[in-house]
Amino acid sequence: MAIPLRYNIRNLKLRKSATIMTALGIALTVTTAIFILALLAGLNAAFRLSGNALNVLVLRKGSNAELAAGGVDRDALPIMKDLPGVARDAQGEPLVSGEDLLVVVLPRNDGTGETNVTVRFLTATGIEMRPETKLVAGRWFTPGQHEIVVSQSIHNRFAQANVGDTMWIGKGPWTVVGVFDAGGTAHDSEIWGDVNQLAADFDRTFYNSVLLRATDPVAADALKNRVNDDQRLKLNGMLETDYWAKQTSSGNPIKFVGMIVAVIMAIGSCFAAMNTMYAAVAYRSREIATLRVIGFSRPSILASFVLESVLLSLLGALVGILLMLPFNGMTTGTNNPVTFSEAVFSLRMTPSVIGSAVLFALVMGLFGGMAPAWHAAQRQILASLRD
Amino acid sequence: MSTAMALNTATETKVVQARNVSKVFQRDAFQVKALDDVSLEIATAEFLALMGPSGSGKTTLLNMIAAIDRPSSGELLVLGQNVFRLSDGQSARWRNQHIGYVFQTFNLIPVLTAFENVELPLLLTKLSARERRDHVMTALKLVGLEERVHHLPKQLSGGQEQRVAIARAIVSDPTVLLADEPTGDLDGRSATEILEILKRLNQDYHKTIVMVTHDPHAASYAHLTRHLEKGMLLPA
Amino acid sequence: MTLARFVRKNAFRNKRRSILTLLSISFSLLLLTVMMTIWRAFYMSDGTSESAERLIIRHRVSLGQFLPIAYRERIRSVPGVKNVVNQTWFGGQYKDDKPENFFAQFGTDPNEIFDVQRDFHIPQDQLEAWKKDRAGCVVDAELAKKHGWKIGDRLNIKGTIFPFDLELTIRGMFTAATPTETVYFNNTYVDEGYPKMKGFVGFFGVLADSPESVPQVAKAIDAMFRNSDRPTKSESEKAFNLDWIAMLGNVKGFILSICGAVVFATLLVSANTMAMSIRERTREVALLKTLGFTRATVLALFMGEAVSLAALGGLVGALAGSVLVYGMARSPQMGLFLTGVTINAPTMLVAVLVAATVGVVSSIVPAFNASRGNIVEGLRHIG
Repeated sequence: MAIPLRYNIRNLKLRKSATIMTALGIALTVTTAIFILALLAGLNAAFRLSGNALNVLVLRKGSNAELAAGGVDRDALPIMKDLPGVARDAQGEPLVSGEDLLVVVLPRNDGTGETNVTVRFLTATGIEMRPETKLVAGRWFTPGQHEIVVSQSIHNRFAQANVGDTMWIGKGPWTVVGVFDAGGTAHDSEIWGDVNQLAADFDRTFYNSVLLRATDPVAADALKNRVNDDQRLKLNGMLETDYWAKQTSSGNPIKFVGMIVAVIMAIGSCFAAMNTMYAAVAYRSREIATLRVIGFSRPSILASFVLESVLLSLLGALVGILLMLPFNGMTTGTNNPVTFSEAVFSLRMTPSVIGSAVLFALVMGLFGGMAPAWHAAQRQILASLRD
Repeated sequence: MSTAMALNTATETKVVQARNVSKVFQRDAFQVKALDDVSLEIATAEFLALMGPSGSGKTTLLNMIAAIDRPSSGELLVLGQNVFRLSDGQSARWRNQHIGYVFQTFNLIPVLTAFENVELPLLLTKLSARERRDHVMTALKLVGLEERVHHLPKQLSGGQEQRVAIARAIVSDPTVLLADEPTGDLDGRSATEILEILKRLNQDYHKTIVMVTHDPHAASYAHLTRHLEKGMLLPA
Repeated sequence: MTLARFVRKNAFRNKRRSILTLLSISFSLLLLTVMMTIWRAFYMSDGTSESAERLIIRHRVSLGQFLPIAYRERIRSVPGVKNVVNQTWFGGQYKDDKPENFFAQFGTDPNEIFDVQRDFHIPQDQLEAWKKDRAGCVVDAELAKKHGWKIGDRLNIKGTIFPFDLELTIRGMFTAATPTETVYFNNTYVDEGYPKMKGFVGFFGVLADSPESVPQVAKAIDAMFRNSDRPTKSESEKAFNLDWIAMLGNVKGFILSICGAVVFATLLVSANTMAMSIRERTREVALLKTLGFTRATVLALFMGEAVSLAALGGLVGALAGSVLVYGMARSPQMGLFLTGVTINAPTMLVAVLVAATVGVVSSIVPAFNASRGNIVEGLRHIG
């Protein structure tokens, strides 16, 4: 039978100032860890949500990014529309979308300079193939017009991105006619316009990429292979989900720096927790001896102090989580190295982020408490009674 | 199994059997003899007072009986058992079952109430919460503190604290009660109360009590007084 | 025994606690040092003096859009321009897409690149050999060391942005003050490999005649192409680099919030330790006062103890930080952002000062309380 938990809780309450300071220190560390994990979770979610398992993305052979020089010849589109396994919409039109991408420089509205933003040119079919995308203001662009729609986050983060504003894209001004929400996908970092208008402006003979919708997941895989193997096409097909999953690598610098920061802070906090627990052990030396005389074994003393340290760190985790809650959902952006343009995403405190943070604190508590608890359990009863 | 059998038969007659027990401390270059060839037998239901000046080895002997100190040489059986053969965990369990210990400085856990302090040893048993409650209340009634169950140690007087400590020592119904200067920190009236309680525990409940003291008034409550000097037990 | 000695003895009276505190503070200050170094490298360094004379001219819209090679001679005509060289980011893959195999490849003009990049040094004979080989390249000597390349080795780069692969021969190695992770090859290779790109290049590097003329040169170049089909954006090399950093996201805010968290955490650790250590010595303080120590001396004793402990932690942290920065600057994940970054003495000094200040702030309340305490009560205090 263990030493009751309330014994630890009351002792933590008794040494209020030490408990608060140590827990706050741990809370700061947990806050940092949550911040980084939430950033990564948001980034991963943006890329993961972006891919549809039924969609096959087609690029020029040898290319692995939509925004590369060269692309898919416009003549290849009819061939792809006739491939078996391609899904059709209600009107019987094949769900195939040839798309172009451009990068434009937009000034941020907080005055911190300019950022590259991806502009995607597509048709109504392309919009239809992304059902997660909803219009939230204005209307969709009209084919054959210099009109664009911007994503909600572009609208929020950049100047000149309100309905009625104009943007210089390529050779002329395009008017913003609507705002859309792409449901947390990578398209939330994009601006959309009419692909045929762009082709007319630039006299383009190719698409940057083509998106195909398959009738079912098995067909998607077959479609991918069919595109790759077709000698006429000389193209590279891949599942859209795989394409986006690859781009999560844009979170690598954050991950790398973040992990270093979190681990170093955690080590510092461990030492601080150790200090507090050693002081607690020293302060309660005689109590520990008394417990031993009553008949509590060394393992139960050990367990009790480790538990106290873990309680302390969990308190820290709780405070840390509360400190970070107001930032949940905050939107930020980073550079996507594949497109050289901004990937917008939001801080997501998912259950797994919270779980990891609690686990992180738990490990700190365990490490911080182990040595002092061992010290407490190893002390000779006699020596402690004399203290 | 054989140790358990020996234990049962031995409890009939002798609680403590010490033969030529010595304890030597190494203090830097010097050897200090805390106990020097002590032989002593304590019978069941005895109330023994150990007297002697400070440093005479009385607490060392008491701690050996509680299995928290061990002899350098000689043999010591407590309840027929050579407790120093027990592992750390076994001796903790053994203490919990057979020994009640009362300290000079009470050593109550400051964050626990009187009730919880007394309940502590019972947490190591298989008793249900309800049974534990009954035992704790019995023990507290015995020391006359049933009114102050939910007080924290700092809300009690010294005498009351020591009565809680005695309740804690007897709550698991041990055979032996060891008391190390139980009245050392108390005023005269409280001391008398404590000694009366110990006397009653010995008379009515047949607890074997070994009490270390240097106060002749305290010793007068015991049946038998033995003196230690410089580690040696003086003839009775 | 002097008072300073007394302070030192006290600071390490509870060795374990002092060491744990020291370690805890050092780890925090280590982070602070690293963050300050990154900040300095990103926002405060002026780079080499040569770098201050350089500009980057790119398409106004983005690096992904190209400029006509014809701009080169027009830029050269701008007053204050000494040299102009075209560069095109190839962005190919060496071996695989692992980050440790990532480095920059630029198509450029071997005749002028080292006139613009005057801080890069290459033996004359190697440069001549490169000029003669259209499929030749020169590599950063550090990069060559990392991959074990020798002069004459073949270097195959798979095109990802461009629809063709490079098959290069290493003709020379250049050295730079800081590692560049760069391979330069002859741009005619791009012209031939991908005819659609013929006549177009990625951006221009310009060497101005003095750092002072850089702003005017930039203005003049942008004015020259303002109304053309492909307008330019000219900026100093430093501003160009800052643009890259800005693309990473809110780096400033990130660094500042980490620094804030670290300093606050250090403060908590230090305050906790001092509170524990002073409480344990309540009796001793009373004794010191009985002996005739004034309040001010007692206050100074405790604060001196906290400050020396914290400052020592700061020093240890700063030293450990320089080791970490050394490692990070060489790691594949961070390589491009932190190449050649090292910690300097002022940064370390700031770290120690921050730590010492934390020591003062954290000890002031407990030390003041101790110095004010009642002697009689203090002497009675147990613990």
